[in-house]
Amino acid sequence: MSTRTSPGPHIEVRGLHRSYGSGADAFEAVRGVDLVVEPGTVVALLGTNGAGKTSALEVVEGLAPPSSGEVRVLGLDPVADRAEVRRRTGVLLQTSGFPADLTVAETLRMWAATMTAPRPVADALADLDLAGRADVRVRALSGGELRRLDLACTLLGEPEVVLLDEPTTGLDPESRRRVWELVAGLRDRGCSVLLTTHHLEEAEELADRVAIMHAGRIVREGTPAELGADRPATIRFEGAAAGLPDLAGLPAVARVGTDHGTTTLESRDLQATLTALLTAAADRDVRLPGLEARSASLESVFLAIASGEEPAAAPTPEPARPTGGAAR
Amino acid sequence: MTTLSLSRTAGLARANATLVLRNRLTLIYGVVLPLLPLGLLLVGDSGSEGSGGAGAAAIVTALMMAALFPVFYNLLSQLVTRRDELVLKRLRTGESTDAEIITSLALPGFAVALATAVVAVPLAIAFGQDAPLNPLLYAVTVVVTLLMFAAFALWTAAWTRNAEAAQITSMPVILLAVLGQVAIGFPDEVRRFTDLTPGAAMTDLVRVSWFGMETGSTAQTLDLGGTWAAAGRPMLVLVAWAVLAAYLARRSMRWEPRS
Repeated sequence: MSTRTSPGPHIEVRGLHRSYGSGADAFEAVRGVDLVVEPGTVVALLGTNGAGKTSALEVVEGLAPPSSGEVRVLGLDPVADRAEVRRRTGVLLQTSGFPADLTVAETLRMWAATMTAPRPVADALADLDLAGRADVRVRALSGGELRRLDLACTLLGEPEVVLLDEPTTGLDPESRRRVWELVAGLRDRGCSVLLTTHHLEEAEELADRVAIMHAGRIVREGTPAELGADRPATIRFEGAAAGLPDLAGLPAVARVGTDHGTTTLESRDLQATLTALLTAAADRDVRLPGLEARSASLESVFLAIASGEEPAAAPTPEPARPTGGAAR
Repeated sequence: MTTLSLSRTAGLARANATLVLRNRLTLIYGVVLPLLPLGLLLVGDSGSEGSGGAGAAAIVTALMMAALFPVFYNLLSQLVTRRDELVLKRLRTGESTDAEIITSLALPGFAVALATAVVAVPLAIAFGQDAPLNPLLYAVTVVVTLLMFAAFALWTAAWTRNAEAAQITSMPVILLAVLGQVAIGFPDEVRRFTDLTPGAAMTDLVRVSWFGMETGSTAQTLDLGGTWAAAGRPMLVLVAWAVLAAYLARRSMRWEPRS
């Protein structure tokens, strides 16, 4: 339960840059990131491997100083005001790190000993369904159990701000679902959550806002629906639809493609295109096997960016919405 | 970084002590090995001429082992193992400060080494040795020695790739420590240089503070006041090494594995 409310956003990142190395070997992993996380919201940093998600998150976590730019967590500097920020923040690193020879309960007791106000260890065990594994050594845990133990430590101090670096990577679907429920529960209690992921499904499921990162920059930012809004919807069916008029002439069609016998239409207005297509097919008595129609998903946005189809340079533009864009 | 939280440090140290005791290898070199040289006191013939020399050698060896294994080697291997397990990085995301994390890793070994240094006193007396002539100087020698070896462990860990590699990378510091101790029988021209090693300084300081023996002597030649004067030069050498080790450790400290 969050006990203090700070006015303003829980996390504020302005013009963040982070470089590794120096001179000719220098590599700039984060190239000007702006990000705001309001209380009670979940923000997902989405990107491919190497996009700079972890590098950016480590600065927010206070593990590394920024090369330039500013980071505020709960209105404080994560490095200068470390003690205060840490007390109210829960961090989950990309890879769990616990001594292999301690048991689950010993690990949580050790972690609790480092905290100002930890919850009872027994409660934390129960919350993450680890009570039955309390006396098992860390080295004997499954990947999912280890991640749950890690999360138990992250949440042991009832943090107001939670930073999760790829919380579900490598988990089985059931464990992943459990973590999602946990994150949703955190938001309901008024915590703010900043997480990184390369699972689109996870971002769509969990996040109030999604920031897509590519090559060190945030190239799109918005709600999952907003992000899809400027991408075309797609219609697919098998075969070349012989007997239909020119598909490119259908209303709102942006592109027609065929690949391995599947025809794909990209549409700026799914309903208009689909209506015209189905009417034409009905008029001519043409079957469209395997017909499929879907609004733009985060996936298409993401893939377009990852493939370089979308310009990666524009920093968080207000997307120019086409009229009647496909809504989710 | 300036003040340590007692409860945080103790909580982490407790877990670290559990880990040392739970692993057979760390248990042997961290706890059992340093206690063995004290057995030399038993075989030292306390009645014969020059027995002070044998007793001093046993105590110096015990303290050197206590500094090298529970403190230096143990801290080195714990640091490298925890770093590779990403435990250090994980701990740094919590409330613990860097100083608390390092202190908690060193504490179990320090406890064993200090216990060895303390137990050596009644044990030596029981087996016919003199009580320490200058206990305060003896205590200061032990503490500075342990701090120096802890700092050397931090520095060595920085360029040790993994826990197995520590068997090799620990050699320079171990040689530096042992050289001074074995050099006691070397000719003066050689000793002028070996006296500058931390092992020689520590050996001299123990012999001066406990037995009142001047460098190279195997019988008491100093009174209490004389021990302070005789300790000046080796203490300077020891402190200089400790400062160097701390400087190197500070410069090179790494918290996560090289990627």
